[in-house]
Amino acid sequence: MQKSKVILIKGKKLLSDNQLNRRIILLMLQKALSLLYECNDFRDALIQLFRPSDRVGIKINTIAGRRLSTNPLISLSLANLLTQIGIREENIVIWDRTNEELRRAGYRLNYGRRGIKIFGTDTRGINYEYELTIHKNIGSRLSKIQSKLVNKSISLAILKDHGIAGLTGVMKNYFGAIHNPNKYHDSNCNPYVAELYEIDLIKNKNKLSILDGIIVQYHRGPSYHAEWAEKCGCFILSTDPVAADFIGWQFIEKLRKKRGLPTLEEERRKPYYLFTAEKMGLGKASLDEIQLIEYEV
Amino acid sequence: MRKISRRDFLKTVGGVSLAVSTMPSGFLVDLYALSPSAKLSQVEAWFYKKLPDKEVKCELCPRYCKLGDRERGYCGARENRNGTYYTLVYGKVCAAHIDPIEKKPFFHFLPGTTAFSIATAGCNVNCKFCQNWQISQVRPEQVENVDLPPRDVVRYALRYRCPTIAYTYTEPVIFYEYMYDTSVEASKRGIRNVVVTGAHINPEPMRKLTKVVDAIKIDLKAFSEDFYKEYVRGELKPVLEAIKIVKESGKWLEIVYLVIPTLNDSPEEIRKMSKWIMKEIGPDVPIHFSRFHPMYLIKNLPPTPVSTLERARNIALEEGINYVYIGNVPGHKAESTYCPNCKKVVIKRFAYQILEKNLKKGKCKFCGYPIPGIWS
Repeated sequence: MQKSKVILIKGKKLLSDNQLNRRIILLMLQKALSLLYECNDFRDALIQLFRPSDRVGIKINTIAGRRLSTNPLISLSLANLLTQIGIREENIVIWDRTNEELRRAGYRLNYGRRGIKIFGTDTRGINYEYELTIHKNIGSRLSKIQSKLVNKSISLAILKDHGIAGLTGVMKNYFGAIHNPNKYHDSNCNPYVAELYEIDLIKNKNKLSILDGIIVQYHRGPSYHAEWAEKCGCFILSTDPVAADFIGWQFIEKLRKKRGLPTLEEERRKPYYLFTAEKMGLGKASLDEIQLIEYEV
Repeated sequence: MRKISRRDFLKTVGGVSLAVSTMPSGFLVDLYALSPSAKLSQVEAWFYKKLPDKEVKCELCPRYCKLGDRERGYCGARENRNGTYYTLVYGKVCAAHIDPIEKKPFFHFLPGTTAFSIATAGCNVNCKFCQNWQISQVRPEQVENVDLPPRDVVRYALRYRCPTIAYTYTEPVIFYEYMYDTSVEASKRGIRNVVVTGAHINPEPMRKLTKVVDAIKIDLKAFSEDFYKEYVRGELKPVLEAIKIVKESGKWLEIVYLVIPTLNDSPEEIRKMSKWIMKEIGPDVPIHFSRFHPMYLIKNLPPTPVSTLERARNIALEEGINYVYIGNVPGHKAESTYCPNCKKVVIKRFAYQILEKNLKKGKCKFCGYPIPGIWS
């Protein structure tokens, strides 16, 4: 059986004086895409996932404020790469739950006709679907951005420890695409994270999964705590969301071990939903079935 | 059901636009301000502990949500902000009606009167058969709220001559502080307070609440932990504890049991529950067996057959419970109250209407047998 490929890419000079270097971000994303599809030009990789006529949503994570949210430089750089295969700027939406959270994370909202759109589900005229999407244990109203506005999506999530789920990554990022995520935090968010992702409007649209590991909160997440946040300057990228999250989890465990912290399993919050997701056929959650490629630019 | 006039409501909300609509049964939002971005409240919550690293632990309900900064509890109505826990729904009303008290249902509490009934968004459980999920299973910012501070609630109740304020529709536990303060304010003006709750609450807040309200109706959703885990996403044990606390407090208590075909309707379960009621709270607490209608996440089951409700009622009567009703079946004879002594009709009802009242100073008019309740 074919292994899932996951790229772990680091940027040497990504951060200087706590400022992100846009050029390095672009280089990292380009190289990661090239490695993912074993091609020389990142555009050849992107064209296998998207068409110029696509309307692409980039679901970011802005819940934790400016210090631990998807930096605008990253999401905008990614959007820029999409435009290079002919996707029109106005057909790209960078989004999350609320406009307030987006603003707090440093985004300038754009609902206009021109340019890359940036707004939250709570934007007037957007909102959540009125009808519930019911799937297994999930009964939720989906953000219309995910259900209607876009036909393809990218989960661009922050790699973080999570006090209940163990890990919050690309799959759990879609908790921000429903109206009632608070209802799915029982039993380590298992099986909810996997079952939500399995919904057609999410699973079939999500073409690329990226974990932002520039600053990794490896303990006391998902909110920001400087004491347990480490500047790692990396991205984890895959077309298999389960595999990306699995590698993200291993990454967090390494950081925890380095700091002498117990494993997530010892703290009874191992991300069990990854194994549920694997059983459901959503991706791979085992090192034996993942081809991990590490690279530094 | 009477609606608050647009003009009156506009006065209260200070000119905010308002749409008043009557929704089909089950969807009770009747009072809107057209301002989806209206601010939520930031009133410090009660019953929580501050933890290191700006975390908090909510102790209001048996979930004990442990939350980091900017995280919300399971209810969606309380949020940790920088290590302080806030209720976001204090005075933020998403539904208001003037309802017959029988609709709650209270059958032994001021029959034939109305209750000014309010709710805020959110709930601390997630019943798969919820009738009001559009307002209970959402976050407060996802519905349109109006500002209705406690004194305004009381003012409305007085204006519309409602002797009671009912905290209902969603789950009042999640707007505990607002309900408590409003109850205190209402009591000062001679208005009574009733709570319609699933009682998924911890003992301390429940005890405190019983001190300021007059009656509590508890939805006992089944008599098995498995059902609570699977269909309610909660626990049965704390609910039973809460029922005992209300009974001990001396405040008026009624129980509703929504009978769902195949899920909680077995004669064994009904008998077990009836025996528990007899043993723990006695024969005089009214119990209502209500008819289920397909709703929310359970749409694959039929409405409860009337025969199933009658079977449940017979079991409860056999076990010795005196006041056993059948709900959501308008015109059924078990909507009426019968004297346990002479078996005559003490209060005759049709749906929410009182057709006949044969009570004299809380006693059966025919035989003088005392009928428990709050009658005046």
